[in-house]
Amino acid sequence: MLLPWEYGVRNLARRPSRTALTLVAIATVVMLVFVVVGFIRGLERSLAVSGDANVVLVYSVNSEENIENSSIAARTPSLLAASLDGTVKRFGVTHVSPELYLGTRVRSEGDTEGLGLVRGVERTAPLVRRSVKLVEGRWPGDGEVIVGRLAAAKLGSSGDALAVGKRIEFEGREWNICGRFAAGGAAYESEVWCRLENLQTQTKRQDLSLVAMLLSPGRLSAEVELFCKERTDLELRAIRETDYYGSLQQHYKPVRILAWFVVLLVSGAGVFAGLNMMYGAVAGRTREIATLQAIGYRRRAILLSLIQEGVLLAAAGSILSGVMALTMLNGLAVRFTMGAFVLRIDSVAILIGCGVGMCLGVVGALPPALKALRAEVATSLRAV
Amino acid sequence: MRMLLCLAMVGLGAMSVGCESSEVASESQVGTETPGSQFVLDTEPDGALAVGEARQAIEDGQDVTLVGLIGGSSEPFVDGLAAFTIVDAKVPYCAADEGCPTPWDYCCESEAVKDNIATIKIVDESGSPVAADARELLHVKELSTVVVKGKAKRDDLGNLTVASSEVFVRQN
Repeated sequence: MLLPWEYGVRNLARRPSRTALTLVAIATVVMLVFVVVGFIRGLERSLAVSGDANVVLVYSVNSEENIENSSIAARTPSLLAASLDGTVKRFGVTHVSPELYLGTRVRSEGDTEGLGLVRGVERTAPLVRRSVKLVEGRWPGDGEVIVGRLAAAKLGSSGDALAVGKRIEFEGREWNICGRFAAGGAAYESEVWCRLENLQTQTKRQDLSLVAMLLSPGRLSAEVELFCKERTDLELRAIRETDYYGSLQQHYKPVRILAWFVVLLVSGAGVFAGLNMMYGAVAGRTREIATLQAIGYRRRAILLSLIQEGVLLAAAGSILSGVMALTMLNGLAVRFTMGAFVLRIDSVAILIGCGVGMCLGVVGALPPALKALRAEVATSLRAV
Repeated sequence: MRMLLCLAMVGLGAMSVGCESSEVASESQVGTETPGSQFVLDTEPDGALAVGEARQAIEDGQDVTLVGLIGGSSEPFVDGLAAFTIVDAKVPYCAADEGCPTPWDYCCESEAVKDNIATIKIVDESGSPVAADARELLHVKELSTVVVKGKAKRDDLGNLTVASSEVFVRQN
């Protein structure tokens, strides 16, 4: 015969302080798991959505994988457009985007200064970077910039400081913010975009960092790669944008492995904390457990009731943390070396967080309950 | 009579089994034939020029036989097309005991590579590059020595590309 369901529920309410403390402990552990898993999922998502399979990036062969260090001749875009016929061309506009990309100190209003990512672009940029959408304001004119949705997080400044109409300063010049853009969570969202010729003038550079090309469906990026191999004098290399961000995924693999290790450590620590709590909770109920055995309840029934209490508490803690994570953590911007991304509390994060929480309930309740049940009934009944 | 009929049937059965096994054997022979062998030569062509020499001597559109080692960058093969770069054998690459993970990029001799590199693209009858991985098509890898026979394409800047459909792979 099993103990009534209400017995376990009522037991939780009988010791409100202890129950509340255990609930907070479990909720904290689950919240930590949510933070770390949300970080990993956000980073992965940011890199996954940043690439377009039809876009090929052409940059200097000497810069290895770091586009910021790339320097290619200004004539490269016209050379590529003239030599390769696989690029999308509509209404007389070839979808080739010459870009100058650099990391530089950006000062926003309120004297906040941070290392920002600035991209000098032409009007063809949104034709190639198809996820980019102006959400406020207009395309930049002379001395103007548009800022990405996550640029404030990257710069460590407030969102208000980068509002349309405000001014920022970089490369020895003040720039008016005339618009804001989103890119579906892609890496560009942490960047500041201005006109290419303005950035070239300010940096006293005539070269480019890269050329992004949108290929027609069915055309191979290998054709661009072959062109780069044939023109050894240009010292170019071509890579599909998805492969570029795929290589960054590999680059950040140690970070992700470390983060998963942190999830394991936090979960392990949580299990020990839960064990400690449950040992305390069960130790104070030795007489009660012995009495239940004396009036005829089997050990298995009592064990199930104790696990039920632990699981109820863990489920409540997991739900509490889940709600808090979804309302407070989800979408929170995080600054990172490559820019910024948002914490992502998705179904996987919820599953892992709540799974860890439930494990805490079961694993935490099991050993102390077994220990209490192993004691002699007569001895336990005399326990103080 | 019935005995004879049985013997005849057994004989026919044995013959058909024999035929089947013969078919299987011929299929397996076809299966082991190296894919891409239409581009691979069994004998080395004569008169191969070193890459550096060819860059000096060869004119645009001229037939040429070129010899070199696959390399010149960390990724000498083009993904998705049967094309790669080769470097003149006179340019030294990092020795195995130097611990360089990619000796075929000639990282210590990048200046020498500039004048001693050529691009090879394997083309079909129509002259289009073959859409396959050269490593699988020709059974080559980085630093394999290849002798290619084909038509040279030169430009004023000294770049040399050879469109070839005949490749001999030297056993290093």
